[in-house]
Amino acid sequence: MPTNSERVSAGSLACLGGAALCVTVAELLFKRGATATAHLPAAQTLFGISVLASGWTWLGIISYVASFVGWLQALRRMPLYLAFGLMSVVQVLVPLTSWWLLGESLSLRRCGGILIVLAGLVVIARPAMQSEEKL
Amino acid sequence: MTTALLITAVASQLCLVTGQLLMKHAMNQTNLTPVPWARFAPRFALGVAALSAWFFLWGGLLQRADLSYLFPFEGLSPVLIVFGAALFLKERLTPQSWFGIVLIGAGVAVVSAS
Repeated sequence: MPTNSERVSAGSLACLGGAALCVTVAELLFKRGATATAHLPAAQTLFGISVLASGWTWLGIISYVASFVGWLQALRRMPLYLAFGLMSVVQVLVPLTSWWLLGESLSLRRCGGILIVLAGLVVIARPAMQSEEKL
Repeated sequence: MTTALLITAVASQLCLVTGQLLMKHAMNQTNLTPVPWARFAPRFALGVAALSAWFFLWGGLLQRADLSYLFPFEGLSPVLIVFGAALFLKERLTPQSWFGIVLIGAGVAVVSAS
């Protein structure tokens, strides 16, 4: 019988939240680094190697490594479906910060999609939070 | 979105899902006492390799398209990861959790279509 009784500690949630913020910052830095290197010859861009020519990319890598450490700590104590599902908050954070900081477009429809993602996050998060309160 | 970009996006997704499954499997070993490092190391290394492949494929895509249009491709991954976790890691989900994951996937699809 499927059960959602996994206990999720505040510590592992904090690790996951920190990882989500770091990966959002990393994505923005990667985009900045990729934009800065987009003019380089096509042969170098086959596997995106040329993004390493930008300092922004390296800052992004540092932020990504930080998020990875938080992610691994969360992963030790959480089922993968829950940890990865909750990391979808990044799907909300990236379009919002891309709009805010990079000036990318944010339509009404996209806002609607963001709200649906948030609803999904609440649905998967609630049983895990409740099981912690009971324990 | 050209065919080449689409194939690259799908390949990067497969690398991401495979990498995360390996990583979860590796981190599960660290909860055992004593930690079976001989079982942990190859899973962790392969996981890092798969995630590195994802990183460079993703970096290449970012050079060619807007982040907010590309990023929803990662929205495929919660659904793929949950299938993988249920299939290979024997994680069990309630119907409610499946519904939540489907909502997340649907929300991401709307974001990508906009």
